[in-house]
Amino acid sequence: MTDLLNIKDLYASIAGKEILKGINLTVKAGEVHAIMGPNGAGKSTFSAVLTGNPQYEVTAGSVLLNGKDLLVMSPEQRAREGVFLSFQYPVEIPGVSMVNFMRTAVNEKRKYEGKPALSSTEFLKLMREKRKLLEMADKLNNRSVNEGFSGGEKKKNEILQMAMLQPCLSILDETDSGLDIDALRIVAEGVNRLKTPENAVIVITHYQRLLDYIVPDFVHVLADGRIVKSGDKSLALELEKNGYAEFE
Amino acid sequence: MATLSLNKGEQRELVFVDEPLRDFHCTQDEGSVLRLFVFNFHSAQNVLHIDHLASDCTTEIYHLVFLHGSDKVMTHTRMHHEVGEGISRQLIKFVLADNAAGEFLGELRIKQNAQHVNAQQTNRNLLLSKQATMRTRPQLEIYADDVKASHGATTGQLDESALFYMQQRCIDPTEGRRMLLRAFVMDIVENVQDETLREQLERSIDGVLQE
Repeated sequence: MTDLLNIKDLYASIAGKEILKGINLTVKAGEVHAIMGPNGAGKSTFSAVLTGNPQYEVTAGSVLLNGKDLLVMSPEQRAREGVFLSFQYPVEIPGVSMVNFMRTAVNEKRKYEGKPALSSTEFLKLMREKRKLLEMADKLNNRSVNEGFSGGEKKKNEILQMAMLQPCLSILDETDSGLDIDALRIVAEGVNRLKTPENAVIVITHYQRLLDYIVPDFVHVLADGRIVKSGDKSLALELEKNGYAEFE
Repeated sequence: MATLSLNKGEQRELVFVDEPLRDFHCTQDEGSVLRLFVFNFHSAQNVLHIDHLASDCTTEIYHLVFLHGSDKVMTHTRMHHEVGEGISRQLIKFVLADNAAGEFLGELRIKQNAQHVNAQQTNRNLLLSKQATMRTRPQLEIYADDVKASHGATTGQLDESALFYMQQRCIDPTEGRRMLLRAFVMDIVENVQDETLREQLERSIDGVLQE
């Protein structure tokens, strides 16, 4: 079976400063990987590079998604191929309603897959179903994207979008930051319910807390732009106890 | 229609689309309400002069300029509160593509003894190309001491982080830009109360955005 994601010797920099220094990682369908590490290790750069953020430059290495070269694709093409990023800081878009935004997103993806666009009724029905999963209020539908949302609402809204787009690879970038324990539980349960044997999740986090709810199959320690240690979920507990000192 | 007076208690909504308004002048009597919409999609010079001659008048000015090529619009608003207890709100937006140029002079005058006026002036501009230029100059002349007057002016580009966010959600940058622009300009259009007119404006703006 082809790997869902195959990263080989990935180097990347921002404004001439090298941040990723040779990342190797293989993710198979059905797996949950956690990437942990101290601040400044390159965790957010890693998600930015996988999604094609133009601020970062890939200087060497390869990334294959289902055998296809991800690095030559535009950000929107990567998204349509099934790469989803739950942003650490979801962007506010004044004047663009959640419904309009999400309907455009879903239909762009369907078009790419050769499926017909959803009608308004079909779309709203789907949105209502998925919102229940995250215990979100209907009123958010007509609000502008993320505008005036609380920290918890923004993160739930990210997972709602994940539910709507049904990606094969979801990257959760510090999804636990700024969440109280109830919102954390709802977000994590949402992610767990979206888990299938065909998709995979990469959880990027500084703390072990989220991994109590989204249990990883593998834990990797990212330090100074490299994966310096990999293990099972017990590694996360070890890090929680001993901190990142040995890697800094 | 260069000169207009609103009688006591009269309410008017006026919408001008690419019409010559070099010397628009409106005087308002007590308790009257003027809602003035000025849309420019081509070169123009506007002077919009409003006088509050009695108390409790309200003026709302919504002005949208959307230019391409080497078109140029110069707009001068002259909002004069001659008498107190009045309200004025100005929302002025310029969207400039290609080599287009915009200029806004926002004159807001509150006479001595025109107390308890509440006046707002907001000017937001989007430059869609490096060659487009915008000059903006708020000019506040406030001679009364018990008033609320605020103004703000910003000129910038489309939000790159919003565009990337949209791309990450499968939306290509052309469509993303169109959505962001539409949001920026509909913020003005949605205030038009006449429904038929509002829909007509939405259609013509969607037409411009498809280009």
